[in-house]
Amino acid sequence: MSLLEATKIHKSYGNKFTKQEVLKGIDLTIEKGEFVSIMGASGSGKTTLLNVLSSIDQVSQGSIRIGDTEITAKKEKALAEFRKHHLGFIFQEYNLLDTLTVKENILLPLSIAKMSKKAAQKQFEGIAKDLGIEDIAGKYPSEISGGQKQRTSAARAFIHEPSIIFADEPTGALDSKSASDLLNKLSDLNSKREATIAMVTHDPVAASYSSRVIFIKDGQMYTQLHKGDQTREMFLKDIMTTQGVLGGVHHDA
Amino acid sequence: MTLNQLIWKSLKKNLSNYYLYVFALIFSVALFFAFVTMNSSPDTGAAKETTTGSVGLTLASIVLTVIVTVFLLYANRIFIKRRSKEIGLFQLIGMTKRQVFRVLSMEHFLLYFGAMVVGIGFGFLTSRLLELVLLNVTGQEGLATLSFSMKALLQTILFFSVVYGLIMLSNALYIRKRNILDLFQVRSKSEGKRVSVIETIMGIFGLVLIGTGYYVSSIMFRGDMVRVELLFGIMLFILATVILGTYLFYKGSVSFLGNLIRKQKAGYLHVREVLSLSSILFRMKSNALMLTVITTVSALAISLLSLSYITYYSAEETAMQRVAGDFAFLEKAPADTFTAMLEENGIAYERNNIDIVKANINVKDIVQAEGDFNFNPDEMLATVISDEDVEIDVAPDETVFSGTNDLMSQIMSLKNTGEIAFEEVGTKQLTGTQDEYYVSNIFTSGGLPTAVVDQETFERLNENKDPELQWTSSLQVTVNMEDSSKVTEANKLFEELPEGELPQFSRIKQETDQKQSLGLTLFIIGFLGLTFLITSGCILYFKQMDESEDERSNYTILRKIGYTRNDLLQGIRLKQLFNFGIPLAVGLLHSYFAVKSGWFIFGTELWTPMLIVMGLYALFYSIFGVLSIQYYKKVIRESL
Repeated sequence: MSLLEATKIHKSYGNKFTKQEVLKGIDLTIEKGEFVSIMGASGSGKTTLLNVLSSIDQVSQGSIRIGDTEITAKKEKALAEFRKHHLGFIFQEYNLLDTLTVKENILLPLSIAKMSKKAAQKQFEGIAKDLGIEDIAGKYPSEISGGQKQRTSAARAFIHEPSIIFADEPTGALDSKSASDLLNKLSDLNSKREATIAMVTHDPVAASYSSRVIFIKDGQMYTQLHKGDQTREMFLKDIMTTQGVLGGVHHDA
Repeated sequence: MTLNQLIWKSLKKNLSNYYLYVFALIFSVALFFAFVTMNSSPDTGAAKETTTGSVGLTLASIVLTVIVTVFLLYANRIFIKRRSKEIGLFQLIGMTKRQVFRVLSMEHFLLYFGAMVVGIGFGFLTSRLLELVLLNVTGQEGLATLSFSMKALLQTILFFSVVYGLIMLSNALYIRKRNILDLFQVRSKSEGKRVSVIETIMGIFGLVLIGTGYYVSSIMFRGDMVRVELLFGIMLFILATVILGTYLFYKGSVSFLGNLIRKQKAGYLHVREVLSLSSILFRMKSNALMLTVITTVSALAISLLSLSYITYYSAEETAMQRVAGDFAFLEKAPADTFTAMLEENGIAYERNNIDIVKANINVKDIVQAEGDFNFNPDEMLATVISDEDVEIDVAPDETVFSGTNDLMSQIMSLKNTGEIAFEEVGTKQLTGTQDEYYVSNIFTSGGLPTAVVDQETFERLNENKDPELQWTSSLQVTVNMEDSSKVTEANKLFEELPEGELPQFSRIKQETDQKQSLGLTLFIIGFLGLTFLITSGCILYFKQMDESEDERSNYTILRKIGYTRNDLLQGIRLKQLFNFGIPLAVGLLHSYFAVKSGWFIFGTELWTPMLIVMGLYALFYSIFGVLSIQYYKKVIRESL
């Protein structure tokens, strides 16, 4: 059984008269341990898709199942509970709490899991080492760089070992060095911890780190590419070709 | 789009966003205008003719001016901070700082003077209401005949124009000091600091300062320190130590303790702590200052209100001391006339004659504190009465003190039992002290105890009395109504009595007179206290609104991660408990010491009136806390 299964999801905004359909019946499955990228031009609905998949936004029609849980039927409180235990998030704007230190930010998802302090400390050490942020544990977000912030954000997403991690343009605000750094770390964690990752991006380079790329156009699934045994460079070339066909959007857009 | 259109547009858009600022403006103007109108009204004119009245009013208007100015500047600061991004954007697209300032000033001008017109309208209505209250409190009959005062209008306009100038100055400084980048990042700046030794020392020093202030206040009115010329200096010293101590306490101790807890958690924070502890520590610098202001203002308000309520509350008690019965006379003749009048009108009464002798007694044995001023324990002039005239029984070699009051015992504390010696009849054993008043305090030099002795001793004293010590009258006739509801009726008859050679007293008249003469002072103090309460509540509420906006993105993150609104609200409640609770608790403590140091000058009862005031204050104050939680609720709901 696949980890995530979305069937015929529709999403529209506005009232009866100003209705605008953003998602027009998308079917999607993600297997456990996969690293999936969702690509598309601005306004294609890729962020909306990620939001409904991750239960932050509600679908207008269709169903989404993650693990054994049908999330479209759940109430807000139950959804929050579900997110707490099963989902992890990485956002473009880092979304760190300014009032907390790096370590406190990372440990945040554990505090509800009633994990002992000792075990939490161990978890923290592991993930901080993997992401190379042990040295900045005591610093506040305003005192560290963008790349460090995003790695902190990633550590927070991974620490409670969620079923799936959603990443929304995680490299969008980073320079190319920090971006490839982060993507390498993500793909390491993907293989090492068998973490499932769904990432929205408009950057083909970022997408080339994943194992499968899904293209969205005008609210519908356009096509998808599997990396298979190709090298990353070849996969990148494939992605860029498809993107060109898709609408002449170039990777530096 | 021209600059003027821009001004108009941003004004329209901001009006709904910044209703808070508009509210602060209208509130201040209304308050100020009401006060000034009352001040210049002919009805209050009479009260102003007394020196204390006019000094009080002047003092009150100064305090009011300061508070309103601080309040408006603070509200403006929040207002401008929220718009810093907009200001930055204007500059980014090429407007000069001068132009930005012009846009802001124009916009402010319209907002400010618009609010002023509304405020003056409200103020006029409020002033009528206030005057009605004032007349009621002082027990004056008559309708409020307040008319719109031109003078008050001009004063209000003048004052608020000056404040407008100040606000513009502060805005100009704000814009000048910051570059575009600062303006964009104004919110995420960390005030967080790590634990340091200096902080700990600072916190301890703060506690020491507060302790010193408290100690000095408690000995301020002890005999050896009462020197009027020093009093003012001592009060300033107390004020300074306590305020500075409070600031250091907040800045040092609170963040020290907070950081200690945080360190102990080793980064593993519950969401409750995330929203309370870390948020408070993050803003400790600005919080410390604000908490100090709130604490000081609260303490001032509670003390003022307590003291004035103590006075009011004690009026009855004071009247009781002044007049030993419902009515008291110092000669037989007018008492006879009065009782005859009562009989004529069919009012049942009880008449009681008490003979009085003044004698020196030696109380050296029972004096508790040494060094009290102007008082010689070897020769205390006491009023002596016989136990047969009052309904207690005293053995021949004993005596009982009656009519002691708290003020006297504060200044001159005597033990309840011990040996005292009369010059004429020798040593007696003091067996107890009562607070009942058998003798009006015109006999007792303002509250010295009255000694009750047995009849035989009294007769011996009376025979050997020293004529030098005796007062004009040595007889007191008290007339008490059997039915207490007839007192008012009897008082009407009393008023018809011709004036005698010696004073004659009516307790109920004393009480109303007392309340009337205190009325104005009470009213001013009450008004100021209320202003302080509302102002401090508003400042806290504004600050919380501001913080909640700053933290909106945090709530978004936390909710995305999977915390429910309830989880977040728990943390918010904790934070508000701190933000509102700590200054309230410290303020209550401060005012307790302030009131305790000098309450006996104002009245005879301490606990009941003080606790009533404190309870009410805490209640009204908590309303602002609840309001701010409601606001947070809204922000949290909208955050996802």
